[in-house]
Amino acid sequence: MKIDKFDKLLGLLLASVLIALVLVLWQGSDRQAGTAKAVADRVMERELTYQARVALLQKLYGPVDELRRKGELQTALLKLDEVSRQYPGEAHGHVLQAEILHEMGVLEEALASYVAGIRLNGEYIDRKSPLSRREAISRLVTEGERDIVSRAKANPANRTLATALTNINYLKSRLAGGCE
Amino acid sequence: MNMRDRDLWMVILSGLALGTLGVMLSVWGNPANSGICVSCFIENSAGALGLHNNPRMQYLRPELIGFLLGALASAAIGREFRSHGGSAPLLRLIAGIFLIIGCAVFIGCPIKLLLRLTAGDLTAVAGVLGLVCGVWIGIKAAVNGVELGSQRAEKTGSGLLMPFLFLLMLAFLIMRPDFINFSSQGSGAEAAPWVAALAIGFLLGGLAQRSQFCITGSIRDLIMVGLRSYMPWGLGTFLASALIVSAATGRLHLGLYGQPGAHLEHLWSFLGMLLVGWLSILLGGCPFRQLVKAGEGNTDAGLVVVGMFIGGGIAQSWGIAATAAGVSMYGKAAVLAGLAFVLVVSLLFRKRGTL
Repeated sequence: MKIDKFDKLLGLLLASVLIALVLVLWQGSDRQAGTAKAVADRVMERELTYQARVALLQKLYGPVDELRRKGELQTALLKLDEVSRQYPGEAHGHVLQAEILHEMGVLEEALASYVAGIRLNGEYIDRKSPLSRREAISRLVTEGERDIVSRAKANPANRTLATALTNINYLKSRLAGGCE
Repeated sequence: MNMRDRDLWMVILSGLALGTLGVMLSVWGNPANSGICVSCFIENSAGALGLHNNPRMQYLRPELIGFLLGALASAAIGREFRSHGGSAPLLRLIAGIFLIIGCAVFIGCPIKLLLRLTAGDLTAVAGVLGLVCGVWIGIKAAVNGVELGSQRAEKTGSGLLMPFLFLLMLAFLIMRPDFINFSSQGSGAEAAPWVAALAIGFLLGGLAQRSQFCITGSIRDLIMVGLRSYMPWGLGTFLASALIVSAATGRLHLGLYGQPGAHLEHLWSFLGMLLVGWLSILLGGCPFRQLVKAGEGNTDAGLVVVGMFIGGGIAQSWGIAATAAGVSMYGKAAVLAGLAFVLVVSLLFRKRGTL
């Protein structure tokens, strides 16, 4: 390959641009502390948002939890309904509802509420999340399999049981992991 | 069949490595049944690059980078690196989008399809049937004159663009600049140690480049020439090794219900994989093979890869990707749009009177 003047000019320009790039990156690394701070700020911001969310959930759903602790499950459900009307897209309401219904022994509805909650926010099934309800969900799925599967097989035309079975399968699949 | 042929053993070695390491990556931290899933990895990487905002699906998967760079290294060593392309580039880019859409509706690429099957996931059967049908239709279309046109040699630099972009992604993975997203929850946060994942990707990319092994190519050869081709032997080794390793590591759970990353809408699993099989024959390889070819300097495959990244972003942002809850209306519409696309392409790119 023959190198002419134009090639040399292009080569020179390329070298200049590469040097400029290195300088820009070098300057950037001088400001590494700044970048690290930006990353730290972002992590902190995310953490603050998360903490704020948890605090807000506690504040919003605190009265429901209080009633639940007192054993006033029906009243807790009514209170929950009231709160959920204000925040219909919040997964936590569905999860709390599932927990209350599970305590009341209403398995089918509890399953449906967990499914609604997890479809809105998968955090409730994660192992590491502070909001995780993984163990409670596993327990409910085991109970559901024991109770609902046999009934669904005996009554194949029963749509409520069929839906409950679909919900069990969904929760089992989410508990098993895999890509989402 | 010549048992002393090095090519045969290279194909078998590729199948063995893909099956074994595909399961082991899951054992070492990747999501269940997703030790290797090119489409899931592309969705994760698209999210990491900011092409979608699902915070649970964002991670620059090192395996993807390894596949392409491993293929580049192997092609360079074997003096097979050759910049070439120019065969219906825009069409290939769009086909790349639909390739990922088909995978997203099934939840997995052809490699993951078989990993799911060998882990006992019976919902994958519909996908296998769909993939085989898609490949069969693709072969029939090719026999009847459907082809995207010939490629031509290009300047060396154009074939190096994709490897350069993937090297840049490797730099992003290592340096973690603040504009790259990394999930802290969900399947995007589940990952094997990145150095191991990169090394395995590099090895598999290199082996696949040497052997030309790919899942849809093996099915194509099986349909067209049977066991006289080496590829089906690689496929058999892949299936056997994945099954054995799944069983040995306690990951074999035979059943239809409660499988990880699976849904029960079998018709859409079938159609999603049919689309992937058909497109793979039209484009000359499954998503994995497109990455390998892009590493060999094939700029057309490079455009398919770019399309796959766009598809990864779209699949998540537009709610096309299926979940354990099933396939959304958008997902169903996208698969049908993909089938319409490949049908129109078949009509427009057909050389008539070739038979």
